Amino acid sequence: MVGATDSLPRDAKDYVERLRRLRSMLRLRSFESALMRQPKPGFQLLSRGEEAIAVGICAALDRTDPLLCSGRSIAIALARGVPAGGLLAELIGKDGGPNRGRAGRAHVSMPSVGLFGAHGVVGGNISVAAGVALAQQQLASTAVTCCVFGDGACGAGVLHETLNIAALWRLPLVLACINNGYAVSTPVRTSVAATHLTDLAGPFRIPAIAVDGTDVDAVALATADAVANARAGHGASFLELRCARLATHSTLTREERSPAELEQLRDRDPLVLNEQRLRRETILNDALWMQLRAEVDAEIAEAERYARDAAWPDPEAALLDA
Amino acid sequence: MPKLFFREALARAMAEEMEREPRVILLGQDIAAHGGSYAETRGLFERFGPSRVRNTPVAEAVTIGMAAGAAAAGLRPLVFITYLDFLLLGLDALVNYAAKLRFKSAGQLTAPMVVKATAGAKGQGPTHAQSIESWLMNVPGLTVLSPSTAGDAYGLLKTALRAPGPVVFIDHKKLFPRGGVVPDYEELIPVGSAAVRREGRHLTLVAHSYMSVLALQAAELLSAEGIEADVIDLRSLWPIDWDTLANSARRTGHVLSIEEGQVVCGVGAELAFGLRERIATVRIARLGARRVPVAASPVLEAFTIPDVPAIVRAAHRLITDTAAANPPSPSEHA
Repeated sequence: MVGATDSLPRDAKDYVERLRRLRSMLRLRSFESALMRQPKPGFQLLSRGEEAIAVGICAALDRTDPLLCSGRSIAIALARGVPAGGLLAELIGKDGGPNRGRAGRAHVSMPSVGLFGAHGVVGGNISVAAGVALAQQQLASTAVTCCVFGDGACGAGVLHETLNIAALWRLPLVLACINNGYAVSTPVRTSVAATHLTDLAGPFRIPAIAVDGTDVDAVALATADAVANARAGHGASFLELRCARLATHSTLTREERSPAELEQLRDRDPLVLNEQRLRRETILNDALWMQLRAEVDAEIAEAERYARDAAWPDPEAALLDA
Repeated sequence: MPKLFFREALARAMAEEMEREPRVILLGQDIAAHGGSYAETRGLFERFGPSRVRNTPVAEAVTIGMAAGAAAAGLRPLVFITYLDFLLLGLDALVNYAAKLRFKSAGQLTAPMVVKATAGAKGQGPTHAQSIESWLMNVPGLTVLSPSTAGDAYGLLKTALRAPGPVVFIDHKKLFPRGGVVPDYEELIPVGSAAVRREGRHLTLVAHSYMSVLALQAAELLSAEGIEADVIDLRSLWPIDWDTLANSARRTGHVLSIEEGQVVCGVGAELAFGLRERIATVRIARLGARRVPVAASPVLEAFTIPDVPAIVRAAHRLITDTAAANPPSPSEHA
């Protein structure tokens, strides 16, 4: 497994960029807290614990690289550039969201910022992403398509069908699997027979690497390598991004993990780990940290105001675009 | 005007659309050098090359998923599903992604793709014979086309390849070797337009795909007895051409729906309800497969699927048994 302690990413040696990543992760965390403060937050799959992955992947993509993701989409959408106010409005079902409240968390999309879309069916976006990559290849674009999905999709046939055809057709595709250890309550070790998720790509001769998904710089570096490989015409890559799901599966799901296990997971909080690392490297101090928090708090407060003031959709709008 | 085989009419439509629009690509099993399972892509691989006529693995889920993604990202893919039964393996991307994409993205993305799938019983047994196209009528966002003639196959496939959203194009194994007139000029047939194949005043026979062929044959037998039938070929299962249907039903007062698939929640069930909402006095009966899978044996298959005599019997019952409150039992032909 690759982590930043092994090799610092080239671009992240720049402390401005590393502070930007920390600030972006803090922003995702604060956004979800704001979401849960809403009067009716709705059925949500929180990204707590996956912030380094969202920020790291988005740091490695060009704006024109289509990004697709699973229904655990909030951090990815925000990191990709969906405005916080619009995203919050979308999540609670208001007309002011990018999809006018029709998509919600599970299907949010904003192609103009590079978020091709989330998809609420587990594994559902994997084959779609291969098609997006096929279109880029066919239209002679240099764009690389990235699809983020969970470990829960690794037992599904469509992943294996997609790995096969992506290899056969050398598709410009990055398959980024977030291994947070669980599909709802089912541990990955009881749902995938392979020893490592990266083993799944091997038979198709697709390069695969496991990365510490709590390490934003390691995620960015690994993603950038995979993207560069695809952009150079060498085809698809598979990334396993290991992290911990700090919240329950969804806001409606019972927590099945023991208090002891949950306590242990706090050691894998990417926000805390990144903050501590930047302090150790003297890139971050208390004053700067307070400043970042104040900036983020102001932005999230503005987003909450936007979402609160946004109109509910006209019920008849349900009949548009069907 | 030239006569072409049904399969040749499809090939001509594809060739013309691929010439006109470089974003049209074909994806499917055995469609490249082999020329398609029904010889319907013959010549296209040689003419348009391997990047536009792509053989896929036997993997319908990824094939339809890729088509949906490619469509959303700017291509116009046409996917070949050898047997409609196998569409079940790829329904997720079609129903959960493509059909909903324009809606769920609030118009930012669309999936202009065509899935061509071949229905119908022709001696191949339980999972190579089903006519389950009525399932697809239930899905908002899908257009469902099902021609019965070479000319309609040509005009409807061209329309499908220019449509703004996903289209399922259902053909039938028994149609490929049939010949028919195809215009020598370019002609597109709009979606939602049924064809009146024959005019009569006593009853309306309504069918689609291969059952339209049988309905016409049945109408000739009925005519010999002095019973004159309108024969309406739906061509488009969704949207439905209610105007053409209602105009005929108003004149004849009797409608017999014929389909090769199951009648429960079938095409006829929808037609009956829609027509009764429009014309309270119309009498309607439906005819479809018996409620069993389609067997491999030709004897068992023939017993299961409606044939011309069954259509004639059902027509007789509909127009003579005016006192009966209920249509013929769905569990038997007549």
